[in-house]
Amino acid sequence: MSIELIIFLAMIVTFIAGCFALKLPVSISMVFAAVIGAIVGGYGFPLRHLVEGMFSYVDTVLVITTAMIFMKVVQESGALDALSALIIQKFRKKPALLLCLIMLVIMFPGMITGSSTAAVLSAGSIMAPILIIMGIPVVETACIIAMGGLLGMIAPPVNIPAMIIGGGIDIPFVGFEGPLVLLTFPLAFLFVLMFGYKYVKHFDYDAIAPKLNRNSIETHGIKIFIPIFVALILMVINKAVPSIPNLGMPLIFLISAVVGAFTGEKFSPVKVCTESVKSVLPVLGILMGVGMFIQIMTLTGVRGFIVTTCLSLPAGLRYLAMAVAIPLFGAVSSYGSASVLGVPFLLAFLSSNQIITASAISLIASLGDMMPPTALAGIFAAQVVGMDSYTPILKRFIVPSIIIVVWAIGFIVLSNSIAPYIVFK
Amino acid sequence: MQRKHITGLICLAVALVIMVITGRNFLSLKDLGTIVPGPGVTEKKMLSAYFDGIEGTNMDTEVYVMEGSSPGGKVLILGGTHGNEPSGYMSAITFIENATVESGTVYVIPYTNHSGMTHNDPQEASPQYIHFPTENGVRTFRYGSRASNPIDQWPDPDVYVHAASGQQLSGSETRNINRAYPGRPDGTPTEQAAYAIAELVRSEDINLTFDLHEASPEYPVINATVSHEKGMSVAAEGVMELQLKGIAMSLEPSPTNLHGLTHRELGDYTNTIPLLMESANASQGRLRGATNEALALTGIDKAYVKSEALGFLYVPYDEKGHPIEERVGRHLQGIIEYTKAYSAQYADAPVTFTGVPTYDELFLSADEADLGGVQLGKYLH
Amino acid sequence: MITLIYRGIVAIVVFFIIKNIFQEEKLTLQANATLVIIPLILRFLMIK
Repeated sequence: MSIELIIFLAMIVTFIAGCFALKLPVSISMVFAAVIGAIVGGYGFPLRHLVEGMFSYVDTVLVITTAMIFMKVVQESGALDALSALIIQKFRKKPALLLCLIMLVIMFPGMITGSSTAAVLSAGSIMAPILIIMGIPVVETACIIAMGGLLGMIAPPVNIPAMIIGGGIDIPFVGFEGPLVLLTFPLAFLFVLMFGYKYVKHFDYDAIAPKLNRNSIETHGIKIFIPIFVALILMVINKAVPSIPNLGMPLIFLISAVVGAFTGEKFSPVKVCTESVKSVLPVLGILMGVGMFIQIMTLTGVRGFIVTTCLSLPAGLRYLAMAVAIPLFGAVSSYGSASVLGVPFLLAFLSSNQIITASAISLIASLGDMMPPTALAGIFAAQVVGMDSYTPILKRFIVPSIIIVVWAIGFIVLSNSIAPYIVFK
Repeated sequence: MQRKHITGLICLAVALVIMVITGRNFLSLKDLGTIVPGPGVTEKKMLSAYFDGIEGTNMDTEVYVMEGSSPGGKVLILGGTHGNEPSGYMSAITFIENATVESGTVYVIPYTNHSGMTHNDPQEASPQYIHFPTENGVRTFRYGSRASNPIDQWPDPDVYVHAASGQQLSGSETRNINRAYPGRPDGTPTEQAAYAIAELVRSEDINLTFDLHEASPEYPVINATVSHEKGMSVAAEGVMELQLKGIAMSLEPSPTNLHGLTHRELGDYTNTIPLLMESANASQGRLRGATNEALALTGIDKAYVKSEALGFLYVPYDEKGHPIEERVGRHLQGIIEYTKAYSAQYADAPVTFTGVPTYDELFLSADEADLGGVQLGKYLH
Repeated sequence: MITLIYRGIVAIVVFFIIKNIFQEEKLTLQANATLVIIPLILRFLMIK
């Protein structure tokens, strides 16, 4: 047994023991696993490495926290209720179309920011009540939101995993739009109908109309939607007019949240921030633990061991290895997986069209956001619909995940023949 | 005081201790050590002399001027574009400490992205320092990052848009100086540093520019020289000479659709001929094993030997690795041969120098036991 | 300018996390929150 495998096993055993035997939070278990990995690897207690690893997620911490604050503001100000009532009323006659439309809305922040968390916590949280009011059970609603987050992250114009994978072998992010549109939108419509259509096909508007809360829109009128419009405009404006500086997601969410304090029901900003931070802290802690974990994996050679083991499989099995390893490694982060495994796999499939292959690998990498323990999309989708655990969401994700992987591999296998029709540079 | 307040205070105290210990360590990385100018150095100035927008910032960096006794052309050597590619800056430093210029002038910037030298990337587990035993004791150099330090430029945008071309790259590339050329005087600190270098090239009328890099062994462009189209004849002649000396070197044309790099933008926006050289560095690769100083200096890595057997690499890889002497030797021999080829083709503005250790001296003739730092240390003073 | 604004955002987040540390009853959850403030404070101070 190689030393890397021994270190890896020591880390995994420590992690599992921490989570299940000692009932520690996932984050603390990961810290222990990282420390044990370093000790077994002969590096002692490398404090600098443990702290340095956490810095991968400083920006992510800000995005998640501010997105949660924005979400709570939209909820507390009454904008959420108002929007639900409005959309359901307008599209009550065409439930299938309504579902597809809702899916696009959920995906939108992900398409613009490249972050599934942003999509789930902003548009996802806004659309969730609509889906639930229409009769879709909470688990399926969470599935739709999580899936919208994943596919939104991959759909053009912004796809960070594809940029990371392409950047690894110096392909500029040009010509990716065609493959990414085909990789994501058909699946998005398929999945939203798969999860939701059977519940909404006999949709009876008159039965649910009394449940819709119109108080806030009647009191405050259209201005209650201003924070949502502000977020939308700030996200898009820099893409349309590049000379306007990029504010970044955290600032956009905060500005919109501040606006929300003046456009609807009154609420306590301190209370909203306190609650938001409390609800995201478990995830933020996990991200810190993951940062340490990867840093120690890199330090001890475990990371390279995993990558070379995956690549060393015979060519046919390599697709399978990719389908399993990239989402699995995505447990630590889908961006991390795109960089650590996505780039070597792209090199392994170098004879295929690189743009399509990188796009398809990025789609597989998106599944990492549903992989425990981080499972950012899953955890936040569960929170948005008020579930205690995201396990039921994961179970319903198995079939769609297989479809995603098969769809992506299909694109890679056929990449050279379809490239002339879908890649435009 | 409630129990939770006491435990809360204890938690904060522990955090404080951790922050003080690691914070001191992170701050100490700003000290890049000293470079001992050799006999050929006639002037040392700061890059901000060419663009004062970076004066007093962590982007400002030393420029060593080595003027020959006879007039001639001008050469610029850029080391440390990427701080995690040690043979780049170690080649530049070895040049500064050993070369004597006879005709023309050579400008050497050992740490092109000075800010990138002052930190390490999270999750890469890079060594913080590399050490070389020399006749005057052990010399210590930094091992840095591919990108500018976030404390000098933060936050990154979601997407980096290259200003001159509109090309989109992942947001973290905003801090990669070799995606920032030709730079902007009113841009990000990294773009400003790139602009300062372009200004140096323009105001000194540099004829030939070297940008010294390393690549991971699984990266297709490796053991290669990338040349702008206007440098092809110089590069082709140099590559032939290198191959005659037993150095495997391929010649790659600079892609016209990949923007922000020296070999594209300095060629397009200035009069210089830009050449970029790559050698094989395991410590930046994705297939690497344990990451530490030894890996950076020797390249010895069983994980890469395994990858070689699987056919994933673009350089030969065996148990001997690729020591720093081989990688620095390749760069220095490249500088020697390409400068000779340039001087032959542009005889009205020649650049000649002596005293630069060759590939043979650094690597081929070295005692195998000295490879991995000791042999290079013989040329550091 | 944008860097200053982001340091401000970090300060706000750190403030509420520290508030959480003193409200949380369980030590493990306090430790979890403590973990998060370490990189945030080092970034706020522009040390790393």
